[in-house]
Amino acid sequence: MKGGIPVCSDRKLSPAEAPATARESTPSFLSTDLGKSVVLIALALLMLFAGRLVSPSLGGLNQISAVLVLSSFLIVVAFGQQMVVLIGGLDLSIPSMITLGGLLAFAWTPHGVGELLLVALAVMAVTGAVGMISGLGVTLLAIPPFIMTLSMGIIIYSACLGATRGTPRGQGSETIEALFSGRFLGIPLIILLVAVLAALAILLQSRTTFGRFLYATGTNRQAAYIAGLPVRRMTVATYACSGAAAGLCGLLLVGFSGGATLTMGQSYLLPSIAAVVVGGTAITGGRGSFLSVLAAALLITTFTTVISSIQIEEGWRTILYGAVVLIAILAMRDGTTPLTWRLLPLLRGNKKQQST
Amino acid sequence: MPQDSAISAQPRTLPSSIGAIRAIFGSGAVIAAILYLVMFVLYLALLPGARSYSHFQDQLANSLPLALAAVGGTFVVLTRGFDLSVAGVVSLANVLVATYSMKGTTGILLAALMVCAVGLVVGAVNGILIAYLRLQPIACTLATMIITSGIALLIMDAPGGNVPSAIGNLLFERFGPLSMPMITVGVVILLWAVIRRTDWGVGLYAVGADETASRLAGIATASVKVRAYCVAGMFYGLAGLALSSITVSGDPTAGNSFLLQVFAAIAIGGTSFAGGRGGVVGTILGALVLMLVQKLLFSLGVSSFYTGIGQGVLMIAAVLVGAFSAHIAKSNNT
Repeated sequence: MKGGIPVCSDRKLSPAEAPATARESTPSFLSTDLGKSVVLIALALLMLFAGRLVSPSLGGLNQISAVLVLSSFLIVVAFGQQMVVLIGGLDLSIPSMITLGGLLAFAWTPHGVGELLLVALAVMAVTGAVGMISGLGVTLLAIPPFIMTLSMGIIIYSACLGATRGTPRGQGSETIEALFSGRFLGIPLIILLVAVLAALAILLQSRTTFGRFLYATGTNRQAAYIAGLPVRRMTVATYACSGAAAGLCGLLLVGFSGGATLTMGQSYLLPSIAAVVVGGTAITGGRGSFLSVLAAALLITTFTTVISSIQIEEGWRTILYGAVVLIAILAMRDGTTPLTWRLLPLLRGNKKQQST
Repeated sequence: MPQDSAISAQPRTLPSSIGAIRAIFGSGAVIAAILYLVMFVLYLALLPGARSYSHFQDQLANSLPLALAAVGGTFVVLTRGFDLSVAGVVSLANVLVATYSMKGTTGILLAALMVCAVGLVVGAVNGILIAYLRLQPIACTLATMIITSGIALLIMDAPGGNVPSAIGNLLFERFGPLSMPMITVGVVILLWAVIRRTDWGVGLYAVGADETASRLAGIATASVKVRAYCVAGMFYGLAGLALSSITVSGDPTAGNSFLLQVFAAIAIGGTSFAGGRGGVVGTILGALVLMLVQKLLFSLGVSSFYTGIGQGVLMIAAVLVGAFSAHIAKSNNT
């Protein structure tokens, strides 16, 4: 993965395919992004139906729809996190951005579709602009992404806390709530919305120049810079993307829960990272696709839903959650082949690599 | 810069006394030290009540859990790794101490052994998964963090428990003018001074600077990494013990607040997240700075709502100043 030149020189190669060429040693369907997603979603469905054995209310069509609704938040933030990770960064400001977006949506309370669009754009513009500041810090001041976004997160949270004095003011908006209660052709509106957004996200990554530049920059920043790509602008744009996505998530959460709290974003930081890594995105950048991250987000949400309906101690739930994440990253570490097939050649492969 | 990197393990002559100070502490630590001194003087000037030796000791004791955890994290960050398991291990150690420890001095020793063992096991799992199975450090330690906090929840499902008074008094023990936290910090710095000169210590910097080159140069990179995660785990465990001594109770989520603060302390202390640069002394100072800034902002009359803004700005500023001085050091050397 060190050499980024093929990605830049071969203009015909689509960015989604480019990372795949690096894994040509296992050219099976399962090692493609589509294959990974199919496996992850199959796992999620399996989990849902297995849950039925424990609690009969699980596993129905209603349950699938409920899980899809619940996972929409994680899918949205995971998109932003993945964009930043693809370029070799990490966004730790996501919880604060969700809170900021939620507080703004709560305070502005849109009535009607027109206002909702306007408020959504305004919220995403504000959080996107804050994300842009992180991006500028990372590119212009060369502050490590980790520190920059962590600091911005603390600053934004503190500002939110100070501005609201701890108690957010506003009103729940029935228009945002309608996204969750309303249905079109029997499908909840929020699922349709997230499906459209996800399709756009996948197109953005795989079919646009921006997407191609993104993978090139993530694979080898230096090479991308020498090849004349706008590396700095790209980086700033990904952080803005992440901010906007988190803001949108905040707005959706306000619709879901009917209110905003200062801690509403806190439970999304680690799941967003988990979705990105379980979805097979390399934390060093340049490899991964949104399709499998979306599938991973579905898997994680399914798992947390199923496990919360089982009567076991909270500690065991947490341990199982961690174990699933660990097994998923072990299995996804290089193409999706069942863990048992992987482990033996893996150990041998490592020894070989070390002796060279 | 080069003073901190692996090459500096070789003795070399430095032109000035500043160079000598840098060679001892690493430039990041010097900045953290200056930052701390300035803030400390300001703090004393603003808060006359704080001008006592025992107040300073208390403050040191309160910073110790974070300092120990951040020292552990530094070992991992030096190898260009990343360890989120700190949150889980600190919580786990805290509830273990609050549930199982015995009275008296032997109780302290047993508790210390117990938390070190727990940290060692978690660290070894992290290290083996990362170094041999090539998992991404963030991904792997995220999973172990979740699992260890789950185990902490199993041991204690809600805050509570009891810490024996011997452990509760541990950090406030005095030996003449010295206190337990001072001795601990001193021992850690001495240990670090020794470790830096061992093959493993040099290996930490080498692996962090360039893993491929280190492997080709004959460094057993995998074992260097595994040991880094193991030592880090033990420090997290000790941090959990120190925390139990302060809170005198157990809390299965006690470690969560450490997660981001540990990395903040490491950053302020001048250790580079790109690996291969920095050190433990800077990290300890970074932790002290981080704890002091909250008190300072409070004594400045800043509403406690806004202290986070000060912390965030300070972190960015510290990293910027560190990078700037590293840049100057580099241009002076070449």
